[in-house]
Amino acid sequence: MNDVAIILKRELKQYFYSPIAYVFCIIFIVLNASIYMFHFFFFGNADMRAFFSTLPLILGLIFIPAISMRLWSEDYKLGTVELLLTLPIRTEAIVLGKYLAGLIFYLVGLAGTLTIPILLVFLGKPDIGPMIGGYFGAIMLGGFFLAVGIFISGFFSDQIVSLIITSLACGFLVLVGWQYVPMVIDGWIPGLGSFLYSYVGVTRHFNDIERGVIDIKSIIYFISLTALFIYLNAKALERRKY
Amino acid sequence: MIELKNVCKNYGLTPALTDVSFSVEKGQIVGFVGPNGAGKSTAMKIITTYTAPTSGTCMVGGYDVMKDPLSVRRMIGYLPETVPLYYDMLVHEYLEFIGQARHLNGKFKQRYDWVVEAAGLAPVLNRKIGVLSKGYKQRTCLAQALIHDPEILILDEPTSGLDPLQIIGIRNLIRNLSRDKTIILSTHILTEVSTVSDRILVVNEGRLVADGSFDDLIQQVTKRNSVYISVKGTKKDFQSAINKIKGAEEIEFDENTPRGVVGGHIYFPSKTDILPDLNHVIRENKWDIVEFSRERLSLEESFIRLTRSSGQEGGTA
Repeated sequence: MNDVAIILKRELKQYFYSPIAYVFCIIFIVLNASIYMFHFFFFGNADMRAFFSTLPLILGLIFIPAISMRLWSEDYKLGTVELLLTLPIRTEAIVLGKYLAGLIFYLVGLAGTLTIPILLVFLGKPDIGPMIGGYFGAIMLGGFFLAVGIFISGFFSDQIVSLIITSLACGFLVLVGWQYVPMVIDGWIPGLGSFLYSYVGVTRHFNDIERGVIDIKSIIYFISLTALFIYLNAKALERRKY
Repeated sequence: MIELKNVCKNYGLTPALTDVSFSVEKGQIVGFVGPNGAGKSTAMKIITTYTAPTSGTCMVGGYDVMKDPLSVRRMIGYLPETVPLYYDMLVHEYLEFIGQARHLNGKFKQRYDWVVEAAGLAPVLNRKIGVLSKGYKQRTCLAQALIHDPEILILDEPTSGLDPLQIIGIRNLIRNLSRDKTIILSTHILTEVSTVSDRILVVNEGRLVADGSFDDLIQQVTKRNSVYISVKGTKKDFQSAINKIKGAEEIEFDENTPRGVVGGHIYFPSKTDILPDLNHVIRENKWDIVEFSRERLSLEESFIRLTRSSGQEGGTA
């Protein structure tokens, strides 16, 4: 079996051993569905715009940090990091295996929200395009946040600390991409807000994809940053030796 | 097989190892001894490629731990001090995971059966690791280190937390393995190193302070021997009689003898034997002996002396 697959299999099992993962999965699905249902009954539109507008914040603040927090922190606490890093497997393969396990778990959670589009198809005639775009964007965005999360998890032996720092980092990436926040920052330091909005904020890229505009630039943005953080995680673990 | 040259390791500004050099031949069992925090684990972490030396080189089986860590890791079975286990896994799942990660493939079944037998894990194979007793946890982790039949075994305190019967079991296991394997084990239980290993390295405060067989080390620390004797008589007579013995360097009187009895420790250089002279004095004075014993340094005492004699004051013993 491939090294990445060996690590992936074990890490994925680990998610399903612990009850915390189930709890967060349920919270994620219930939170998303309930916020969406409010809009749904209030406006009566058969689209998922409201769902995809709150999704980045829910992902960044709660769900992804909850998935990524254990990826390295748990190994530091148990001491198993010493076991993993003395196995005849490259550090990159271990990082990638762990990352993919987190990604699969995220996709399982995200699949739990598919009840909403199914419901819409039965109740009305929704435009399928933006929904597919929205889910594609959610995969890209979640994948990127997860890479940030595993990178941060590599520095802390306490899962709660990893969760909070990841939550802060992802929350920041989401918020500076909202139109109002950069405007306020521009008011304090002219130019900084717009700079953050165009170069750091993640929401703009997500909105592009979600609107059905599958811009190659946004896809490259997500994939390259995801790859960068996974790479940095492996490098940071190698650095730790010194 | 293993060769460290001028290895230094600093954690931040704190030196953990200072200029450590030694080499271990194939088939040797080496005991690493030293107080807590002496640098035993650090040296083992360097050999197993978990940490990198700040300076110096470490070669394992002809591979440099810095340049070719994967080849080094393939040769080594490692039992870290922290006993790394995934508490949510079952024992057999854990061993299967290690088997896969060690790329055993077709050989797995045979090695698995052997290691379960050797480590005595058969009764707990379907239990969660988190609920096992400390002894079983330790043995599960030892099984992990042995499953790929490594040429080199690095065992960091392999018997800590085990009961006396299990300790003997592990010792026998190590001794039986040793015929074709190179083993480094660390411990602060001295009887353990003296029974298992051919050679002992003593580390203190990051430095290698002694290297040799157990008897060599004992000789190195015991420059003089002593006997304890107490007899009926007076202190004055006792002292003048003992002073006549050639070789008796010092008398340390025992203040706790009963009335009418005098006694003390008599020190003499380890090369000379004062017993014939002492016998003569006893007969001459017609002493009634109350107590007589020849004193030997215990393993613990010689260990403390070794670590003290490295010139550091207030060492952590």
